[in-house]
Amino acid sequence: MTAALQSSPLTRFRGRLRGWTTPLRASTALSIGLGLIALHVVLALLAPVIAGHDPVVTDSTNVLSGTTWSHWLGTDQYGRDILSRVLNGGRYALLVTFLATTIAVAIGTVLGAVTAYADNWFDEVVMRVVDALLSVPSILALLVVVTVFDSGLWVIVLAVTVVYAPAVTRVVRGAARTVITQDYVTAARARGEKPLSIVFREILPNVLDVVLVEYAMRASWIVLLISTLSFLGFGANPPTPDWGLMVQENRTALTVVPMGTLAPIVALATLVIGLNLSADGLSKALGIDRAQQGATS
Amino acid sequence: MTTTVDDVPTTTGFVVRVNDLAISYTAGRTDVPVVRGVSFDIRPGRALGLVGESGSGKSTVARALLAHLRRGSRIVAGSVEVAGDDVFALSPVDTRALRGGTAALVAQNAGQALTPSMRVGRQLREALESHGLPSGDDRVQELVRRVRLPDPESIVLRYPHQLSGGQQQRIAIAMAIAARPQVLVLDEPTTALDVVTQAAVLELIRDLAVELEMAILLVSHDLGVVSSMADEIAVMRDGVVVEHRPTADLFATPEHAYTRELLAAIPGAALAPAPADGFAESAGSAEPDPAAVAPAPPVVQADGLVIRYARHLPAAVQDVSFTIAPRETLAVVGESGSGKSTLATALAGLIPTESGTFRFAGDGVSGDLAEPVSGRSLDLRRAVQLVFQNADTSLNPRRTVGAAIARPLKLFTGTASAERVGEILTEVGLSPSFAARLPAQLSGGQRQRVGIARALAAGPQLVIADEITTALDVRVQAEILQLLADLQRDKGLSCLFISHDLAVVRGVADRVAVMTGGRIVEIGPTGRVFAGPNHPYTRQLLDATLEPGTTELPDVQDAVATWRDAAGGGWRDLGDGHSIRNWEDA
Repeated sequence: MTAALQSSPLTRFRGRLRGWTTPLRASTALSIGLGLIALHVVLALLAPVIAGHDPVVTDSTNVLSGTTWSHWLGTDQYGRDILSRVLNGGRYALLVTFLATTIAVAIGTVLGAVTAYADNWFDEVVMRVVDALLSVPSILALLVVVTVFDSGLWVIVLAVTVVYAPAVTRVVRGAARTVITQDYVTAARARGEKPLSIVFREILPNVLDVVLVEYAMRASWIVLLISTLSFLGFGANPPTPDWGLMVQENRTALTVVPMGTLAPIVALATLVIGLNLSADGLSKALGIDRAQQGATS
Repeated sequence: MTTTVDDVPTTTGFVVRVNDLAISYTAGRTDVPVVRGVSFDIRPGRALGLVGESGSGKSTVARALLAHLRRGSRIVAGSVEVAGDDVFALSPVDTRALRGGTAALVAQNAGQALTPSMRVGRQLREALESHGLPSGDDRVQELVRRVRLPDPESIVLRYPHQLSGGQQQRIAIAMAIAARPQVLVLDEPTTALDVVTQAAVLELIRDLAVELEMAILLVSHDLGVVSSMADEIAVMRDGVVVEHRPTADLFATPEHAYTRELLAAIPGAALAPAPADGFAESAGSAEPDPAAVAPAPPVVQADGLVIRYARHLPAAVQDVSFTIAPRETLAVVGESGSGKSTLATALAGLIPTESGTFRFAGDGVSGDLAEPVSGRSLDLRRAVQLVFQNADTSLNPRRTVGAAIARPLKLFTGTASAERVGEILTEVGLSPSFAARLPAQLSGGQRQRVGIARALAAGPQLVIADEITTALDVRVQAEILQLLADLQRDKGLSCLFISHDLAVVRGVADRVAVMTGGRIVEIGPTGRVFAGPNHPYTRQLLDATLEPGTTELPDVQDAVATWRDAAGGGWRDLGDGHSIRNWEDA
């Protein structure tokens, strides 16, 4: 309804655009971080176009070749094009990370805000469950789940969600508790608003900055976690192109074709650095101290 | 202060010389001038008061005396000399010697200025040690005695949280004077304190300044504090000193238009100036409007109200009875912790009452106020609306002004149109275009207007105003009080007005209730309460209030209680609805 009182939609859009890009101009770290992530997303999306080789087709006549015109980064022990495998490996990593992080952060955020506002037996129960889940080492929990249920995409996504949602719950609950003490929440209570309406209208919009930082940070951990799983042989099944799997497969040939190991490592490292820089830049631009939010675990 | 010091130790005769000082703050590519060409001098033993609204640059100037600049700020022109040295040309070692050594700062909030995990005695010892002074137990206790704290031996063993706000501020002052500085910079030293404590702390500072021949720079937005402490006053606005004159002259004949505006905005200034010996003014100036005392059934009736936060805690409000008539403003005054805000919170239904009757009977609506919000009918929730102390935190920073007003409209009337929101904004003196703004884009006064608009949107019969002007500058405060009075008259609202500021209360209230320790000790028509006779607690509050323009500090005892409730209890009726709780000398 407020839009009716506005000048023109175009100036409003420009204003909003400026609002969104202000943190970018203020923080170099954030620009570089988002740039790296964007690069990874573009490369992953365009992988079939750029790569030029099928990532899983083997070629026994051309194994362990160095850099050639048709294979820029050489081939691995089965004669598969390393560049194609690295580019396509990003698709899997990004997809799993995006799904797992989004679900974990969404669940954690809603649960954190609701328990913070409830502040009763429900809060107690949820937080004790969270405590229990947080006390289990994440990699062990994942290994057990994957061993029992096989390593399908959704199994991994859901397992990672269960491992990370509690941590997000904890952080968001902390942030929400400070929001709850603000007078606008008191005003909403005095109006007689329903609890869920208070959570979604008054509390959640004001913890979004914390959630955004949390998202970037969790994403970088989840990327690493998933690669670790693959490296240990519990993640993607061969011959799926995956960074962790590639390192594991090619490390025996490290001295012959170093690119087979280095290329996925560089790809993984740049993605994690991009996510970390974004998290850092975001927290500075939004004025959130990561240590203060208890997010250092 | 009236002491004159002629045999001044420094060669120039001034211990502080600020010459054409200009400071800019750089944010990104823009350069914002914060201070523009400020000059003043202070002699030892003299006090200069720096007044101005928030953002006028007064704190920036004060901190420049300690060679401190906010990150991103820089000196554009001019110089600051303290004890003959240009403070911004000092080496890091000399700067450290300056801070606390030659010039010391007492900050606004002593609770934050003291290290919470360290006993105050140790902090005092550190203050001495850092300037290479002897720091034995006797020296530390002497400092504590200097700031007139009782029982130094046990005080030094306490942690800051075990002290009251006034005691914390005294310790902060003791730390500041540890190295016998020549300049004492006081940045809003008593803003966080109650009036009675404030008067006692100011008296201490004044006596110490005379004793130690310190030059004082006192920064405050409170004209009462400044006028009673400073020999001269400099009025700042937008980084410029617009008027700088001796205190008495400034109040007698303000020259600059802005100074006149400031003085005119002082609450209660429209009333006849009170004589220094008290408030025994003519009854005519504060006689309640005859229409207001016409007998009508009260809107709110409280009888023997008890409110407790938890079972094991003492009652926050105990045996409180009052009524609020239609169109009437009842003010509740008292120090922090007196239970006045608890009363407001209970009236709003945010905490349940333990016992006593608490009823609302308005125009077509009636209900039990003892019920919390969840148990109240929509009509009752609608009839009682709350305006908050701090408009910065009472508006959701992520929602536009329009959305903030539309929400209660929708909830209580079922519909919310942009036109209606615009109308309400116009009623509180804002233009409808404000609906699209976010709270961060508004000034403090505008935010408080939105806070009032949000309460109005519900169409209330009773407005609870909880310290609504405390966070505002004096000029804005006057505007908001005027707005509230106009709205109340036009819409026939009743009002529960909570405040610690007697001057404000005097201007707006029909009746006043004085609370301390969770009980009402005196209640009556405003004129009668201010004229007396009073309960000793009311008397103490009245005496401690610093009237802008007076150059004398009241003699107030804040450490020892002089009264206690009479053993038999009961009230003394002074007629005309004015009654006082029985008391006896302690």
